[in-house]
Amino acid sequence: MGRSPVTTVAADSGELGAVPASGPSPGKGLKTGALGLVSTIVIGIASTAPAYSIAASLGFVTAAVVFQMPAVMLLAFVPMLFIAAAYNYLNRADPDCGTTFTWVTRAIGPRSGWMGGWGILMTDLVVMPSLSQIAGSYTFSLFGANGLAASTFWVTFVGVIWIAVMTAICYIGIELSARTQVALLGAELLILAVFSVVALVKVYATHVAHSVRPSVQWLNPFHITSVGALSAGMLVAIFLYWGWDTAVTVNEETKDARRTPGLAALLSTVVLVATFLITGYAAQAFHGANYLTNNSDDILQALGKQVLGSPWNKLLIIAVLTSASASTQTTILPAARSALSMSVHRAFPRRFADIHPRHLSPGFATLMFGVLSIVWYVVLTWLSPNDVLGNSISALGFGIAFYYGITGFACVIYYRRHIFSSVRNFIYIGVAPLLGGIILAGVFFVSIFYYSNPENSYITGQAWLPFIHFDVHLFGWHLYVKKGLGPPLVLGLGLLLLGVPLMLAWRVRHPEFFRRQREVADSVDALAPPLTPGVALVTD
Amino acid sequence: MAGDIVLGYDGSEGSKAALAVAVTVAKAFDAPLMVVFGYEPNPMGGETADYKAQLERIGQSLLETAVADARTLDASVAVEPVVAPLRPAESLLEAAAERQARVIVVGGTGERPILGAILGSVPHKLLHRSPVPVLVVPAAHD
Repeated sequence: MGRSPVTTVAADSGELGAVPASGPSPGKGLKTGALGLVSTIVIGIASTAPAYSIAASLGFVTAAVVFQMPAVMLLAFVPMLFIAAAYNYLNRADPDCGTTFTWVTRAIGPRSGWMGGWGILMTDLVVMPSLSQIAGSYTFSLFGANGLAASTFWVTFVGVIWIAVMTAICYIGIELSARTQVALLGAELLILAVFSVVALVKVYATHVAHSVRPSVQWLNPFHITSVGALSAGMLVAIFLYWGWDTAVTVNEETKDARRTPGLAALLSTVVLVATFLITGYAAQAFHGANYLTNNSDDILQALGKQVLGSPWNKLLIIAVLTSASASTQTTILPAARSALSMSVHRAFPRRFADIHPRHLSPGFATLMFGVLSIVWYVVLTWLSPNDVLGNSISALGFGIAFYYGITGFACVIYYRRHIFSSVRNFIYIGVAPLLGGIILAGVFFVSIFYYSNPENSYITGQAWLPFIHFDVHLFGWHLYVKKGLGPPLVLGLGLLLLGVPLMLAWRVRHPEFFRRQREVADSVDALAPPLTPGVALVTD
Repeated sequence: MAGDIVLGYDGSEGSKAALAVAVTVAKAFDAPLMVVFGYEPNPMGGETADYKAQLERIGQSLLETAVADARTLDASVAVEPVVAPLRPAESLLEAAAERQARVIVVGGTGERPILGAILGSVPHKLLHRSPVPVLVVPAAHD
């Protein structure tokens, strides 16, 4: 062979070209050492997008639990923290892309793994209408066009452009420098802090009409009227914390890939809890919980104007928009990469692994996701023009609870031989992931009951699929459905279940992925072998 | 090993033109030629491992073509292909520092400077940051 060996460089080895690759040269050998703790935390928090998350979900939490909104925000943090432990440990074995997909495939099996990957993709798809809805509406109110901000057509119009532009940015590979990201995130958190402080000062000093003094009782979950309401509130509130897992899955970029991501996920969650609680308290104190519920579609527009006054409220709107922009990108990029990962491991069509020759992005997967998002957004707006946001956020909760929950169980199953070897292991790879999984499974199933009753829809009484009619008794629960189900249930559960026939169809045509055996961890610190050996070398 | 010629190569027309010039320069100085393909995914999206493996595969196959082309142009020049998991400009600066390079050769995009400003032009970054001379070869050069 007259070919020169192609060298792959480990950037932090200090020696370029020192390692000639003879034979297979898997990507696992790459070490870049690019990201430190701070950058990883910034990525985790920016992906969670605090300002956008608050704008999108505050009013829907109060819709379920009224004044106990801060309690639910705090409670939702518990399963997320537990699942963070699962992410941290599974990440040690397999710092890979695909996260839930590869982890669950190893631990529970290929069918569950495939469904976990599908859960990620569907959750990414479901969040897109809520992002574009916020982007459209807040863009208009930034320019004072409040009439247009209330128009379904024009908001959808701008929302579609928003998805198209963001998809193009990810396709071409435009990115902000790390320093710009830190500045934007800092500004976002600062503006939320200013908003909260001003709101609280006004509540105490100037006696705003309908204002309510903050109370410790708002943190008491036992004041929530029913388990169903608690569960529905949790379903929305877990969305607040969704995205911090990016801090764990930036894996190979981090300087110490096996320690930094876990620590970053933990620290970013602490920052998030503080931000959500403080902002939640301030927003609720200003005009009470019902005001949040009644203005759930544009809550930071409504409150911002009264708390900060014009033109300072524009700062809050800009913060929501930059936050939504970061969130849109951190939805499109990982969605394309998850699809790429599934494709590389033969669980998804080959084209999803295509890389654009000039832009070097996962071109086909990125464009596909952008197009599907636009289609989904338009269809959803057509189906439910008045509650795109609420339905999307609750439907999202089903997807997040599903794939975070299954990741918690995967951790326990994968490390089952090591759970009892130390107290530390018992807590971090046994109790925490198991409880996280159980809580999320509980939220998932109780929410099914809750939203099966159309009385609990955001537009009370709204029901989809009116031909569905049944009456069952299950474990003391009475499930009586007449004339259809609430839209969040149809959307959330429907899209997940759509994966089952697709998975079975894929298994018929491409059985090789589904033949793999389950794995169990040899030790808590060992790297797992590649999911699909030699996959980096495959040429089509 | 000082005095290498470092070439940035991504398979574009500009980088192909740069390859021809880089071979000539390497021959003239009797220096080895290092051909570098560098790319780093945006860390904002996470989940990069399988993606990077794909990129590495693309880089390797591009560089195989580059090495073959260089041989055809002048078989006496020693060519070393390198895939670097760094941004393109960073990978070239790193390679130049490593080999105390005589010169970095890159292809000009030969197109719309505003687009270059948005997308981040590698020649532009190198011209400002490189401690060694940078040779920019226009795409139409022959």
